[in-house]
Amino acid sequence: MSKEGIAYEEPAIVNPPKDIIREDINMQYSLYITIFILIYYGSWILPGFIFFIYINEFFLSNFLDVGSFFSLFTELNPLIALITFPLVLIGCYLIRLLSVGITTKIFWRITEKISPSKSGIIPRNIRSKAANYYHLRSFMIKYGKNIFTKGAFPWLSNWFFKFVGSSKIGKGTTIEESVGSDKFIDIGKNCYIGVNSTLASHLVQGIFGNISYFEIKVGDNVTTAGMNQLGPGCEIHDNSYLLPLASTSKHSILKGGHNYYFGIPLRKIFKKKIMQYLGITKKDIERNENIEQAIKELKERKKKKIEPEEQSETEDDLEDTEDTEEVSEEGEVNEELKEEELNIDFTTSSAISRVNLKFLAVYLPIFWLAGLLISIYWYEYTKEGIMLSTLLFLPISILFMIYIFILGCLLFSKLILILVNLIHKPKEGIFLAEIRDTDYEFWMLRTAIRKITLWLLRNSPLTWLDMIAFKALGLEMDAGSHLNDAWCDAEFVKIGRKVLVGQGATVMSSMVIGKYLIIKKVIFDDYSMVGGHTTIAPGTIIGHDGVIGAISSTSYCQVLKDNWIYFGFPAIALKENKYAEERRDLIVKRDVDGEEKFELDYDVNIDEDKKKLIRLKEDKE
Amino acid sequence: MSVPNTMKIGPFVPTVLAKKRYLIFYFYTIWASIIPLMLEFWIYWHFLWNYDRPIHFYTFLPLLFFGLYISLVFSAIFFAKIALIIVNVIHKPKVGVFLRHPADKDYRYWSLRNTIRKWPFLVAHKFPFPFLDNICFKVFGVKTKLRNSLFEGWVDTEFIEFGKNVVVGQGAIVQSAVIIGNLLIIKKTIIEDDVHIGSHAIISPGTHIGKRSVLASNSVTIVDQQLEDDYIYVGIPAKKYKKNWFFEDGLQDKLGQVKDIEELIKKYEKIYIRRYDSQPSKKERKERKKVKKEVEKKRFDQVEQEWEAVDDGFNI
Repeated sequence: MSKEGIAYEEPAIVNPPKDIIREDINMQYSLYITIFILIYYGSWILPGFIFFIYINEFFLSNFLDVGSFFSLFTELNPLIALITFPLVLIGCYLIRLLSVGITTKIFWRITEKISPSKSGIIPRNIRSKAANYYHLRSFMIKYGKNIFTKGAFPWLSNWFFKFVGSSKIGKGTTIEESVGSDKFIDIGKNCYIGVNSTLASHLVQGIFGNISYFEIKVGDNVTTAGMNQLGPGCEIHDNSYLLPLASTSKHSILKGGHNYYFGIPLRKIFKKKIMQYLGITKKDIERNENIEQAIKELKERKKKKIEPEEQSETEDDLEDTEDTEEVSEEGEVNEELKEEELNIDFTTSSAISRVNLKFLAVYLPIFWLAGLLISIYWYEYTKEGIMLSTLLFLPISILFMIYIFILGCLLFSKLILILVNLIHKPKEGIFLAEIRDTDYEFWMLRTAIRKITLWLLRNSPLTWLDMIAFKALGLEMDAGSHLNDAWCDAEFVKIGRKVLVGQGATVMSSMVIGKYLIIKKVIFDDYSMVGGHTTIAPGTIIGHDGVIGAISSTSYCQVLKDNWIYFGFPAIALKENKYAEERRDLIVKRDVDGEEKFELDYDVNIDEDKKKLIRLKEDKE
Repeated sequence: MSVPNTMKIGPFVPTVLAKKRYLIFYFYTIWASIIPLMLEFWIYWHFLWNYDRPIHFYTFLPLLFFGLYISLVFSAIFFAKIALIIVNVIHKPKVGVFLRHPADKDYRYWSLRNTIRKWPFLVAHKFPFPFLDNICFKVFGVKTKLRNSLFEGWVDTEFIEFGKNVVVGQGAIVQSAVIIGNLLIIKKTIIEDDVHIGSHAIISPGTHIGKRSVLASNSVTIVDQQLEDDYIYVGIPAKKYKKNWFFEDGLQDKLGQVKDIEELIKKYEKIYIRRYDSQPSKKERKERKKVKKEVEKKRFDQVEQEWEAVDDGFNI
């Protein structure tokens, strides 16, 4: 995942590679599910109680059992019911969010007491308490995070993280949705963390390598525009501004001080470039650096009621000499059609280009049939009337009903899928992406059918159950693999044992380019790994123990060697995957502004009795 | 096809709150949008329910919830639109460069507009069928065709124009407003017909993408960048890569894969300015600058000599 890796003089390998411990990580699913159910159940008690009392004592008699439609508006009690019901609903929802926070906090505190989270590398090839509790905490925070950031009140998510104690967030900071930024980060005041900007305090390096787990420190008034990936251990000081996609590897230090950063890996850019990239004038940059002055001016202008001057963009001295060079290069593009021109040496996307209303004809019966299952369940559940036991088990049965519905959808969509596949067998190849082409039509239909279940599962409380749906809908994968935080096509993908597909990655077995649809099988061999926000083009084959770093992309039909680490656009072989053999108590910090690197010793986060299993500083000497 | 489970994705409505009192509008849209559903449920209850627990009440219950959900979306759109019209009459949405501070009126109203739009987009996007998203886009002022696929990336919800058959890839971000430092930059983004935006690409405000162009994955456009028709663009920031032939007929057998990856890497290196971590130290850079200056001087001298020669020619 990291680009720079650990740069030190390679000492003679003490243990030959075969002796390296390769234990799978220990997923204590029973513990996970117990904690989830306790958090889930605990969150329902108070809001459920209030809601039930409101419905039973007031709403049922005063609204639903009212005889005529017009008296709903003319009489007082029905009118009150009409007005208060949405408010009670919103109130109960907010109380439930609050309860999720409280219950999560209790468990979080317990785990912190047993094994506190601290900066350091956690070896991933040796089972240890530190690794177990790290995984447990990651799992625990996910439910609350999903409920808060995906729910109706994303503004409260800052409160949730602060309250649980997973990260520190200053006042006035906005954090948009992202796959990471949920634990072990320290953000100052008045920051803006843009959409899909991951402050990843953890980073997995190889299936049998390390988990880099370092706190990220972000100062005041830092903004990231969107899709910025910051590795663990980064220190971003006050007033640093990151342009879109500016990303950096672990342990980078940004000095800040009204500096702008851009690129992968990010670097400081200068005033001329800033003005060019952002389409702003010198005056705007001055306003940005001197915000108080700018506000004063604004207020004065308001008093005088003068319209803001039209910003004249006559400053033509922005043009760089570099740009003129670029233009001349562009002029040389050949207009002739060569064989090379038709090579697919870039990657686009596999989103369906046409949303078709006729697919609703597929959705409606699936929903109805699956919904009938719930109806039957609910009919039986309330047969004896509503008693205390019915109420006590209600939260669990809501969970149960959600999964009955999803399983129903899965069953019926699978049936339809089998039928569709009988009519037209899915196959690889290059097809015309037009309505007339049967392969294209059926590809769209298959995608639409599969989407329901996957969509519902990924919006359900236990999101990682989606691998069941993936397996059922025709993706060859091992249940121990993990791809639930990625965009993934559910056909022509083969995933081996214990594969890790990173957060926000895109796995495509189909790709639309111009008029053509390309379908080609993607294969991940055992123990391979895909970094976060990486794009996997159709036809990619990743070898055994292979790793692709974060924010890279593979080209069409690229084959990646076994046991190698790849990075970049397109993915280039960087070095061999030897994380488990390297020293783990050494980190390399990178000062982005000064363009310097320096090494630091750091404690490895592992149980004391297992420290002798890994290579430390003493081995080198 | 399947989206990451920790994110909403889809239409992007920023969660920036310039003032906390704007949440009143949010509560209003939720509150108002639920009331029509209650009336619908009352009608269903009134006609089908009796305390003998009739079977047909349960049979049509799934369909009722299906209908309720869709009407929730439409009522949310309706009430949010009313609020938005009123807000827009008070302060007209403008493009430009504003301050990211509550003192700036445009920033405040940008935040307010987003707060109002949040609820309808949230409910519309929670439904697995993406049709509702596109209706939402159309109502709230994004010019788009109903058949566009805009729901797998983050697409801003105002000041954007889409043509026909636009594809926004997985995890792509299409912005019309961006926050950089203390500035909020709002500019109109225009994306024309048949444009394909690759996965994880970012389109900054003010970008204009011409017809049948492709922005490859992991590329970024800068503010106000103009991308021409019929080209494939790659890079950070995006540069011309090659002509887009992929809209011509009869290429099925000719489309090939890359055989020589080394050459491709070289090709890409021209586009991406690669920065290796082993960057030159300050001394080395100074030396390089010196060498560059000398080269420049030589060239300059040469040109001067040539000119002199020409002058001599004239003199004779």
